[in-house]
Amino acid sequence: MEQKIAEIIAEICGAGAEEIEPELQLFEEGLLDSFAAIQLVLALEAAFGVSLDMAGLPRERIATPAAIAELIRERRE
Amino acid sequence: MTVLKQLKAFAKTDRTALVNQEQQLSYRELDELSDTFARWLLDTLGKDRSPLVICGDKEIGFLPCIFGALKSGRAYVPLDSVLPDERAAQIVADVAPKVMVDFTGRKLACGARILNPAALENIFAAPKPISSGDWIKDGDPAYILFTSGSTGRPKGVPITAGNLDAFCRGLLPFYPEEGGVVLHQVSYSFDVSGCAVYAGICRGMTLFTVDHQLAADLGACFAALEKSGLTLWVSTPSFAELCVQSGRLEEGLLPQLRQFLFCGEVLTHSLCDTLSERFPKARILNTYGPTEATVLVTAAEITGKMRHSSRPLPIGKAIEGVTLRLEQNGREITKEEETGELLILGPTVGPGYFGRPDLTEKAFFTDPKTGLRGYRTGDLCYRQNGLYYYCGRADNQLKLNGYRIELEDIEANLQKLPNIRRAAVVPVRNGEGIAEYLAAFLLLREPDGLTPLKRAIALKKQAAALLPPYMIPRRLMAVESFPLNVSGKIDKKALAARLEETP
Repeated sequence: MEQKIAEIIAEICGAGAEEIEPELQLFEEGLLDSFAAIQLVLALEAAFGVSLDMAGLPRERIATPAAIAELIRERRE
Repeated sequence: MTVLKQLKAFAKTDRTALVNQEQQLSYRELDELSDTFARWLLDTLGKDRSPLVICGDKEIGFLPCIFGALKSGRAYVPLDSVLPDERAAQIVADVAPKVMVDFTGRKLACGARILNPAALENIFAAPKPISSGDWIKDGDPAYILFTSGSTGRPKGVPITAGNLDAFCRGLLPFYPEEGGVVLHQVSYSFDVSGCAVYAGICRGMTLFTVDHQLAADLGACFAALEKSGLTLWVSTPSFAELCVQSGRLEEGLLPQLRQFLFCGEVLTHSLCDTLSERFPKARILNTYGPTEATVLVTAAEITGKMRHSSRPLPIGKAIEGVTLRLEQNGREITKEEETGELLILGPTVGPGYFGRPDLTEKAFFTDPKTGLRGYRTGDLCYRQNGLYYYCGRADNQLKLNGYRIELEDIEANLQKLPNIRRAAVVPVRNGEGIAEYLAAFLLLREPDGLTPLKRAIALKKQAAALLPPYMIPRRLMAVESFPLNVSGKIDKKALAARLEETP
């Protein structure tokens, strides 16, 4: 799953998946803006078959690849 | 000026003019505060009528400053708080204001007297009247908005009090009779905000504020909207697209909502379908217009028939008072479905570009046949059954998430960064042909030894000092060389194609 998340992030911000480390700060480092964040959430929903209501989602939950992985695990249960 | 007269008229009622979270201003308070500020400007500056610069987001004091400037017979120049210091400084240098209101606390070196929020409060605290004889006159600029310019330096578009009166006359037939609550989300530095600030105030509406912070946190934004009583939604399609990603934006959240007004970029079928499903009682108005001709000059109510047609959604007919013409190679097009450049004529066309007679002469004209003031939009349109349809820009300018952007402007600024020799920026479009984000291809001066991701992070940080966030490309990629086309220019089509091949 971590690999798939890294691939999705890499595709959105134009980098190699191998560079996407678990603790990379996606917003602080300027890699995601609010429009890119929507694209990310939609891609995650499609890839993992989960529902992540954008409006109810605090930004911290998608701030790093590790946080995203935790979120997906939680929503799958 | 109509809006100032209407403000005075509604000041006799107990209506609310502005709501921003817990703060509110009544029409009476808005009228008094703007009178007081206008008096202060006249007492402080005497005969001088240089523009007032206002830098901020949507602070509650912003609107009284706008009407205060107009009541003191001067223009205002709104600068959004997200504008980087260097770009703000260029604008301030061009405008040379004597007074600047600053809600952001940024340190701009300029000759102007700077009023911070505390200083502004002190002025507001001692109410003073002003005579309507001091108000701005018909032909005087009411505001100057700065848009992306192809040289990398922002270019100013002044719009007069008379232009704004004509805009209100044309748009108000599409508004509810009186009262209601209008969404006030669009930045003051983007003229679509005039649908709330000018048309809304003319009808005694309450402006419901969504500032940058609220817009970035949809959960909080919806919680606020739920209590708003919103009747009229005004935004770019992009902001609405962002909001409909959540299922919460539906009739239950905004039961009073009766109309959506979209302006600033192409409206898609998918957005209209979603909205009409979720808000069966609300009508959708699509509009179009360049800053140079005052906010919007066409309007179309989107019908079910239009939504089900495979044709793009129309931008509609000219609003009252506006004349439209299509031209191709200097000849007027009269045939249906033939594409040409759209020309706008009439009282909403502004005087030209601020301090740039060369640019003004290229785009603005006086029509010899009718004597009307005209503006060449650079937009391609065609007409069918009396409705106009937009088919894109004739040049390199584009709309991204509702922002008007010139790619050369971004390139010129990226090339100011220390290690960038040459930059080529291309829009990446979705299946409907709408620009979704920007990608920049960069020729470096020397190898930086960084990985692509580390480089992108470093360059985005550097670019943030020169460009507002919406102009910073999402993807930044170093290249060894640029592909060239037959005329020896960078082949942007080939660059865009690379993105499609390697996501």
